[in-house]
Amino acid sequence: MTGVEPPEGTGMDEPAGDGTEATKAGAERTDAETEPAESGDEQAGSEVEVAAAARNGRGTTACELCGEDLAVGYPSTDEPVVECESVVVPAGEITALVGPNGSGKSTLLRALSNQLEPERGSVVLDGQDVQGLGTKELARKLGLLSQENEAPGSLTVEDLVYHGRYPHRGFFESVDEDDAAAVENALNLAGVTHLRDADVGNLSGGQKQLAWIAMVLAQETDVLLLDEPTTFLDLHHQLRVMEVVRTLKEERDVTVAVVLHDIGQAARFADNLIAMKDGELYDWGPPRKVVTEELLRDVFRVDASVDSESPTGPHISPHRAIDE
Amino acid sequence: MSSDTRTGTAVGTRAGGRFGWLDRSLVSLVVGSALIVLGGALVQVSFGAYSMTIGQAWNAVFDPAVWTNPQVLLGFFVGEEATTAFLSAVGLSTASVDLSKESLIVWNIRLPRVVVGVLVGMNLAVSGAIFQAVTRNELASPYILGVSSGAGLVILLTLVVFSGMTAFLPLFAALGGTVAFLIVYGIAWKNGTSPVRLVLAGVIVSTVFGSLQTGLYLLADDISVVQSAIAWTTGSLTGTDWEQVRMALPWTVLSMLLSLVASRQLNVLLLGEKTAKSLGMSVERVRFALSGIAILAASAAIAVAGIVGFVGLIVPHMVRNIVGSDYKRLVIGCIFAGPALLVAADVGARLALSPAQIPVGIVTGLVGGPYFLYLMRKKERLGEI
Repeated sequence: MTGVEPPEGTGMDEPAGDGTEATKAGAERTDAETEPAESGDEQAGSEVEVAAAARNGRGTTACELCGEDLAVGYPSTDEPVVECESVVVPAGEITALVGPNGSGKSTLLRALSNQLEPERGSVVLDGQDVQGLGTKELARKLGLLSQENEAPGSLTVEDLVYHGRYPHRGFFESVDEDDAAAVENALNLAGVTHLRDADVGNLSGGQKQLAWIAMVLAQETDVLLLDEPTTFLDLHHQLRVMEVVRTLKEERDVTVAVVLHDIGQAARFADNLIAMKDGELYDWGPPRKVVTEELLRDVFRVDASVDSESPTGPHISPHRAIDE
Repeated sequence: MSSDTRTGTAVGTRAGGRFGWLDRSLVSLVVGSALIVLGGALVQVSFGAYSMTIGQAWNAVFDPAVWTNPQVLLGFFVGEEATTAFLSAVGLSTASVDLSKESLIVWNIRLPRVVVGVLVGMNLAVSGAIFQAVTRNELASPYILGVSSGAGLVILLTLVVFSGMTAFLPLFAALGGTVAFLIVYGIAWKNGTSPVRLVLAGVIVSTVFGSLQTGLYLLADDISVVQSAIAWTTGSLTGTDWEQVRMALPWTVLSMLLSLVASRQLNVLLLGEKTAKSLGMSVERVRFALSGIAILAASAAIAVAGIVGFVGLIVPHMVRNIVGSDYKRLVIGCIFAGPALLVAADVGARLALSPAQIPVGIVTGLVGGPYFLYLMRKKERLGEI
């Protein structure tokens, strides 16, 4: 990591609401090796230790994904759609990307998953540049579920989930026991075991999304990126999806980055928020620190009050849309 | 990811299901198609200029003189010289066998036409099925991506301008199709291709090549050249022989095996480009390789029968309606249903206006058009797989 200034509003010396996670997140984005001399107080010292501990403690299972000095655009656009100096998806935590339509959340997610080659900068997965990894090798470490997915209607859920094993199978290899076990696990975890023989075309929107999530789970990756997995779903299925994500993190130490439209949902489920505005990072950190009335006004253009003392995370009561 | 929750018993329905994909719909399709081919063959060998009864025809087909003498049977499929060389190498008899008149007619004239029809049918059907996955469009066929126009143009060029080289016509036709497809791919390429761009580029190339073809017709001064050109560009099995079988067979076997192996790639491609890519597929490379297999199959068909339309379009479509969109089943279905359609159509082409024969491509067009009309009226969404 390079010694970049944290974006405005995250003041790294400020201790945040719930200590450990805030400090850990702060430590990830501060260059612990070169910077401590500048901030000579005890706070910075403890951050260095936590950062070191976090780095040593990691390595076995959880993976960190970070982008450095990124500029991402599409062939059809002259200017980059997303520019950010540093973005970190901390290992073994849930990070939610929030922001209004067109703020570049999905673009950033596609760049982080190497679906979109950045014009500048690099994405590093657990110390390795993702562009240096083979496509299948990357797909064994990092799973991505796109926003809209189309499958042939007559495909069964089980067959769909088996496609998640694609990166684990050679060209001529047939299904082995590992594949079968991974598929079984994925079906269980996503709660769609009873739908295994159903045609994807006959499922409801929510069941379909869970089936697709099962497919990504069968990839058995350490990092999982989900692009708006709850949009268009009813409340029951939204919660089902988010519970799967939480289980993944808690039981398997999977690093998750998820684009969410509903900032209230993001505040409830995520360990970290990354708020985006006009293709840049506006703020990041734990929900209690990021979700403020100021953020809702500046980023979402909504007049709202925030109850940050609520036990389930900051609670937002929107009042009205702010005119241009 | 930890795998602590895995258990040995957590092996699902796949464990015992090595042939799980072989379900009732596929079996009935395969059996039905095989019966149609058999019936078509029966009709083809029984009727013709030299009349014989059905009993005589079938006696000729199962003539022990053919089936018990490997040198005769092998001679048909690999050529006499190669057979002699091979059989004398392994120490078997190479003596020539005298066949009855009926057997000679059936085996030398009528049966090879059926065999060519079988090969052409499976090639075109599988080729169409692959192109439909590559473009993710049910309306794609070997010919929408420029193959037919390229082959047609080269056929006309050879017949009209370079008439001394007609011996290489099959090879040229296949080459023309391949080159046209490469042009289409090149036009469609802009930071990678997309299904829509491929189809549009195919239309552009077909239009230009079509105009050139029409222009060439005006240069032809001999009516027989024009007739020959029409037979090639509409697709015909008239006059096909064991030589055509030997020409198409190795490429057919190769492309059918490759398409079966590639069926999983085709299935993943159907999930969409984004998903395929996030699963670690090099989409562009796979798409090009799959197109190569489809071109190989289409070329093998074009080289022996010219451009038979509609088979590559409707057969995958009918098979998909019966067995679903899984490509393993689809390819197997096409390998049987393609021949069924082509052999049946050729019965019509050869016998409907007897003694005159019409190109089989006209019959497939006459059958294919109404079938598509029916589909268009019946289905809400036609096009997407």
